[in-house]
Amino acid sequence: MQFLLILLTFMGGMGLSVEAGLLGPLGSEVGELWATFSIFAVGAALTFLLMLFFSPRNIPSFFSQPPSLLLGGVLGPVYVVILTIATPNIGIAMTMIGILAGQIFKSLIIDHYGLFGTTERKIDVKRIIALAFIIISLVFMAQG
Amino acid sequence: MTIIMIFLAVIGGATLSIQAALNGRLGGNVGVFKSAFLTFSVGALVTALLIFYFEPNHAVTLMDVPKWQLLGAMCGVPYIVIMVLAVQKIGTAVATVAVIFGQLTMSVLIDNFGWLGNEAIALSPSRLAALVCLAIALFFIYSSGKVEDKKS
Repeated sequence: MQFLLILLTFMGGMGLSVEAGLLGPLGSEVGELWATFSIFAVGAALTFLLMLFFSPRNIPSFFSQPPSLLLGGVLGPVYVVILTIATPNIGIAMTMIGILAGQIFKSLIIDHYGLFGTTERKIDVKRIIALAFIIISLVFMAQG
Repeated sequence: MTIIMIFLAVIGGATLSIQAALNGRLGGNVGVFKSAFLTFSVGALVTALLIFYFEPNHAVTLMDVPKWQLLGAMCGVPYIVIMVLAVQKIGTAVATVAVIFGQLTMSVLIDNFGWLGNEAIALSPSRLAALVCLAIALFFIYSSGKVEDKKS
């Protein structure tokens, strides 16, 4: 059971790379913004159905949430447009590692100060070592 | 050029993390699917506005490309559902590491064979070395997470 779930999660990750792999060529054909739009339009349709059938009932309205919590949707396109622009230029693997580096970097800076309402987590040595290895990894990737 | 693109990808990763932090809190209030729906629908609205005012005309439209090229979201949305199921059963740390390994395996395969209309980038010794460094980095991230768990 455990193993099956790990395998399923592994396949979920593979899906993310397939998504990025489809985006690059699509973006060069129809334009980056149209390619991004295709992801969000289809995604909105799918998640609407998921919400309709699988969300708990009587959940609070979006309008009862603080507006700042709703900003995730504005940030989403930034990420997808970047995927569309970067993958044809540097390949999918390097894009993915760069994104990972950004995530770790964020966890060092933002979590350290507890910005954007995250819980404060002081910088620890292990995370810095991790970031260093990711940067070395990017250098290796860049050498081809 | 490569440097600028890597820099862009790093910014993308940081944006993704901020988005994940916001969505995590929103998801706690309204449920994962509802917060995912918000992300996608607001994303579609923002991109539609940008297209309306900034996108130049293209000879090829989304309606002309082969349908398989439009399957991106069909590959991305399952990830959201799987994470909901998996995080409860196997924990965030294991799930995250499994996702990253899945991402890397697939991206190296796509690059190597030039699948889905991408340019082929062969798996060279230096790319392999990059993957080893990444595995070490993941080990450190994972072990720093474990320390955090013990403290709390």
